[in-house]
Amino acid sequence: MNRRFFLTSGGIALASFGAMSVTPSFLRRALAEALEKMGRRKTLIAIFQRGAVDGLNMVVPFGESAYYDLRPNIAIRKPNGSADAAINLDGFFGLHPSMQSFKSLWDSKRLAIVHASGSPDNTRSHFDAQDYMESGTPGVKSTRDGWLNRYLQSKTDSRSLFRGVAMTQQMPRAMQGRAPAIAMSNLAEFRIRAGQTSASVQGGFEEIYDQAVNDSLHGTGKETFEAINYLKQVNPAQYKPENGATYPANGFGNALRQTAQLIKAGVGLEVAFTEVGGWDTHVNQGNQQGQLSNLLRNFSSAIAALHTDLGQRMDDVVILSMSEFGRTVRENGNRGTDHGHANAMFILGNSVRGGKVYGDWPGLRSSQLYEGRDLALTTDFRDVFGEVAQKHLGATNLNAVFPGYDASTSKFRGFLG
Amino acid sequence: MNQKKSGTHSTLLKRVTALTSALALLITSFAAVDGQSMKPRSTAKASKLSEDRRIVHVLNRLGFGARPGDVERVKAIGLDKYIEQQLNPDMIDDSATEAKLQHLTALRMTTPELYEKYPQPGQLLRALQQRGALPQDLAAARDNRRENRANNQNLKPGPPATAGGSDQPKTGEAKSGEMQGPPSNPANPNADANPMNNAEYRRAVYAYFKENNLRPPQFITGELQMSRILRATYSERQLQEVMVDFWTNHFNVFANKGADRWLLVSYDRDTIRPHTMGKFRDLLRATAESPAMLFYLDNFQSVSPNAQPQRPMVRQLARDRNLTMSNNPQDQMPQQTQGPRRGINENYARELMELHTLGVDGGYTQKDVQEVARCFTGWTIFAPRGAGAAAAQLTNAGGRRAERLRENAGKFYFNPRTHDDGEKIVLGHKIPAGGGAKDGLMVLEILAKHPATAKFIATKLARRFVSDEPPKSLVDRVAQTYTKTDGDIREMLRTIFLSPEFNSSAAYRAKIKRPFELAISAVRTLGGDTNGGPQFHQWIARMGQPLYGMQTPNGYSDVAEDWVNTGALLERMNFALALASNRIPGTRADLSRFVGDMAKDKTIDKEKLLDRFVTLIAGGEISAKTRESLLKQLNDQITVPAMPVVQTASLKIPGNPFEEGFQRGNFPGPGGGQQNPQQRRQQPANSNAATIDNPVVKIAGLLLGSPEFQRQ
Repeated sequence: MNRRFFLTSGGIALASFGAMSVTPSFLRRALAEALEKMGRRKTLIAIFQRGAVDGLNMVVPFGESAYYDLRPNIAIRKPNGSADAAINLDGFFGLHPSMQSFKSLWDSKRLAIVHASGSPDNTRSHFDAQDYMESGTPGVKSTRDGWLNRYLQSKTDSRSLFRGVAMTQQMPRAMQGRAPAIAMSNLAEFRIRAGQTSASVQGGFEEIYDQAVNDSLHGTGKETFEAINYLKQVNPAQYKPENGATYPANGFGNALRQTAQLIKAGVGLEVAFTEVGGWDTHVNQGNQQGQLSNLLRNFSSAIAALHTDLGQRMDDVVILSMSEFGRTVRENGNRGTDHGHANAMFILGNSVRGGKVYGDWPGLRSSQLYEGRDLALTTDFRDVFGEVAQKHLGATNLNAVFPGYDASTSKFRGFLG
Repeated sequence: MNQKKSGTHSTLLKRVTALTSALALLITSFAAVDGQSMKPRSTAKASKLSEDRRIVHVLNRLGFGARPGDVERVKAIGLDKYIEQQLNPDMIDDSATEAKLQHLTALRMTTPELYEKYPQPGQLLRALQQRGALPQDLAAARDNRRENRANNQNLKPGPPATAGGSDQPKTGEAKSGEMQGPPSNPANPNADANPMNNAEYRRAVYAYFKENNLRPPQFITGELQMSRILRATYSERQLQEVMVDFWTNHFNVFANKGADRWLLVSYDRDTIRPHTMGKFRDLLRATAESPAMLFYLDNFQSVSPNAQPQRPMVRQLARDRNLTMSNNPQDQMPQQTQGPRRGINENYARELMELHTLGVDGGYTQKDVQEVARCFTGWTIFAPRGAGAAAAQLTNAGGRRAERLRENAGKFYFNPRTHDDGEKIVLGHKIPAGGGAKDGLMVLEILAKHPATAKFIATKLARRFVSDEPPKSLVDRVAQTYTKTDGDIREMLRTIFLSPEFNSSAAYRAKIKRPFELAISAVRTLGGDTNGGPQFHQWIARMGQPLYGMQTPNGYSDVAEDWVNTGALLERMNFALALASNRIPGTRADLSRFVGDMAKDKTIDKEKLLDRFVTLIAGGEISAKTRESLLKQLNDQITVPAMPVVQTASLKIPGNPFEEGFQRGNFPGPGGGQQNPQQRRQQPANSNAATIDNPVVKIAGLLLGSPEFQRQ
C-alpha cells in the first residue's frame, strides 16, 4: 500500500513521501511531526445498529429464568454445546448462536460487552432515540452537532480531511458538525465522472465552488474536491483484504471493507461510522433461527472479517457497536418484540480488556424492569462512549464532547486499560 | 426562452445579466451563512422581492422550477392569478400530462387486480401448489433451487452491492423474507437472498409469467415512480405535484415493506392525491384507513389481547375466523404455526401522534400511545398480502371466497372481533366503551383539532415553502389559519404564499433543492424530455432520495444540512454532467436548440453563449467570478452539440420501459428496473462515462452542478 498523507491546515496542502524532497525544510519538519502523530493515530469504528436490536437475544441472559418465562417462543436456548443454543460466555450470559464468529474474539479477550447500557431518556421513538444517541445529549433536541464530530472538534492538532468518514450515503447525525467530515458510500466511485475530460470538468467545478464564498455549499464543495484528489492516489479499486478475511458481500460488509482500506492507506482516519439496519423486529423475530438470527450472523461475521483483515492494526483500532434502545423483555403477540429501554454494546480491539460482560445486571423479574416492561439501565451510553473517547482516542475534554453531562472517569466501566 | 429574441437583444441581455449578477452578490451576502450553519443569518433584512424575482421564486417553490418561457407565461397571466390557479388544480387542464401516463397500466388497476397481475413468484408457486395447479416444470425448477440452497448453507454472497451501510434497512422488515424469498424455511441463511439469482428458476418463472400475462411486482413501484417523475416534469398542476410530494413524505410509506408495493398505487391515487389541498382531517382519515399505512405501521395486525379469552376452544375459533379472512397458505402460515396472533402493536399509534399530527413535543405520553393503540385495534386489511389472488384467478376458482378475494383483497376493513371495546382515555378525552370503529375516528378528530397539530403542520408547510427555519411569526399565522378554517390546507397555503415572509429576499433561493427537485428542475430548465424511467430514477436514488424508498416513517428531511455533504454533492455534479451530455437513457436535453441560431455566424460569440446559459439555468444570477471561470471553459473551439440520438418526439408519449424490458426477456425488470433501495447503487451508472468534449455541454453541466442551481 502506498502510504501518502494528506494534510490541510488553513489552506490546502498536499504532500506525499514522493514530494518531500522538493519541500522546504521547515515544511518537511512539520510534516514529519504530523506523520509521526498520524502513524500512532488511534481509530474508532462506530457501528450503529439502526432500528433497535434486541439485546436480550443478542447477548442472552440465559441464567435468568424470567427470560424464558417472558419469551415462550423466541427465547434462545441455554448453552448445551449444540450449535442452536446460546454460546456460553461466562455461565450467565451467552451470545446468540449465529454469532459464532465472535467466539474466538471473546476467548482471546479482545471482545468486551457492556450490558444494560443505553440512553437514560425514556423515549421509545426510533428517531428521537437515534437522535439522542448520535447527538450525545439524551433529552436535548436542540443540539446541532453529533458527539463524534465534537470529538473531532476537540482535537485540532491535525486537520487530515479523512479524520472523520461515514461510510454512508448521507452524513449521519453523529458526524454532523463544524469539524470537516466526509460521507461516502463507495471509494472507487468518489470522483467526477466525465471520461477523459474528468480532470478539466472537475477543475471547472472546483473554480465555481471555490468562488461561491458566500454560499454554504462553498465549504462542502471544497472538501469534496480535496477528498476526490486524495482518493485518486489511494487507488481503491485495487484493494485486497489480508489474512484471508472475507467480508459478507452486502452493504455492511462493503462499508467495513472500505473502512479497513482507509485505515491501511494511512489517511489519518480517527473516526469511522457505519450503520446496519433491519433490527426493528416487531413481527416474527425468530429465535435460534429466523430473522434476527440472519441479521446477527451478518453483523458478527462482517465485524470478525474486519478484525481479521486489520490484523496487527487492531492494536490501534477500537470497534464500538450501539443501537438506539433495547426491546421489550416480554415477546409481543406477533412473536416479536416492541420498543424497550436498555441494550447491549460490543467493544472490540487488541487494547480492549475483553472476555468480560461489564456493567451491573439489573435482573428481569417484573419488579426489576424499567416501567414494568423493559430491561433497566445501569450504564449511561455516554460513560461507554466517554471511555472510548478518552482512553482510546485521547480526548482531553469530555465535557466538550458530552455537554451537560458529568463525564467522570470514575463512572467508566474499565473495558479499556 | 425564445431563441430569436434572446439573440437580437443580446447586448441588453448582457447588461441585465451584469446587473443581476451584481444583485445576486448582494442577495447571497444577505442570505449568507455564518460558519458551518446552514441557516440564513437571522439578522438578514427581509426586503421585498422584485416582481421578476417573485415569479422565479413562485415557479421554484410552487413547482419544480421554470421551463424555458415559463417566466414570460406567468407574467402574461399575472402572478397572483397564477398562484390562484395552482391552488385549484382541478380547474387546470392537464390532459397532455395524463396522456404521457397511458402506458403505465398499473396506475389504473384496483389493488385486487394488482395482486392478480403482479404476483410475487414464490407466493404464487405456493398458492398454485395448494390448489394442485403447479406446472411440473415450474415445480422442478423450484425444487432444484431448494436443493442447491440446502447444499450451500454458507452466507452466500448476495447481489454485488457496492457499499454503504445506508442501503441496509434502517428499520422495518424489508428483509423479513416476505418479498425476497419463501418464508417456508426461515432457518435458511439464504432466506433473504433473491431466488431470482438462480437462472433456471428464473427462466421457468419468466416463461410462466409470460404465458399467463403476469408481470413481476417490481414493475408496480417502477411505474409509480415513473408517474411521479413524469407528472412533476410535465404537469401544469405544479403545486399539486409539490403537495403530493409533501404529503407522501409526511405520511411516508416504504415500498419494500411487505405488501406495500401493491398497496401504494391506491395510496397515491386514492389517498394522497384527492386530499392534497382539502381539509387535513380528511387526509388524516384517508391515511388512517389506507391499507398502505395500516400495513407499513403494522396496525393491520394489532389485536386486542382481550378480544378472545384464552380457552383452547375459543382459540380454535379465532384461528378459523382468521382462516376465513384469507385462503392463502402463506397469509395464514404464521397463524397456523403459532396459533392466533394476539397482541397490541403500538407502532401506528405512536407515529400517528409523533409524526402525523401532534409532533414529538406535542404533549402526549406513553400511556396515550397505548390507549390510541387500543382504539385502533381491529383496523385491518382483508387478505393483506393478496392471499393468492393470482392463483385463484389462474385456476378459475369459483365460490364465495374467490369472489370476496377478487373484490376485497388488500382493502381496509374494521374487524370488531379483534377490537378492544373497553373505555379509553386519550389526551384527557374519554372514549366510551363499545364504540367499535368509532374509537379510531374519535382519536383522529381529537388529534386533528389539537392545537399542537395546527402548529406542527404549519411548521412543516412553512419549512417546505419558505425556509429551513421558518420565521415564528409566519408559523403562528399559518397555525391560526388552520384553527380558523378547521384545518383547510388550501387556506394555509394561501396564507403562506401571500405572506411577506414568503415574498421576502430572505426566502429567495434559501432552500437547497432535494434530489427529486434538483433532477426534475434540471430537465425542466433545459426544456428537456424524459420518460421518467428507471435510469432517471436511479440518479435520484444515487443522490439520496429514491421515491417510496425512505424506510423510516419520518420521511425525508426538509432541511439543507441533511442533503449537503461531500458524497451527495458529488453525485449532484455527476448527475448534471450525465444530463447535459445525454447519458441518461430515456432522458434527452437538446442543447443544440440553444446554440443553433448562433452557428450561422462564423464563430460563436462566447460571451453571448455563456450569457444565454447563465440566464437559462441560473436565472442570470451568478457571480462575476463564476462567470469568468465558466468563460475560461469556453476556450476550446465551440461547436454545436450533436442532437441527442433519440429524438424527443418519441418521448411525447413515453412507452413503458418495464413492459419493453419484459418483452425482451428481462425479468424481473429492465436495466435499473429493480426499484429497490437495497440494489439501487449496484450499477456504477456511468463508470465508462463519456468524455465531454463539447464546451457547450460542459457549460450546461457545470451550471447545473453549480451552487446556484442547487438552490431554489
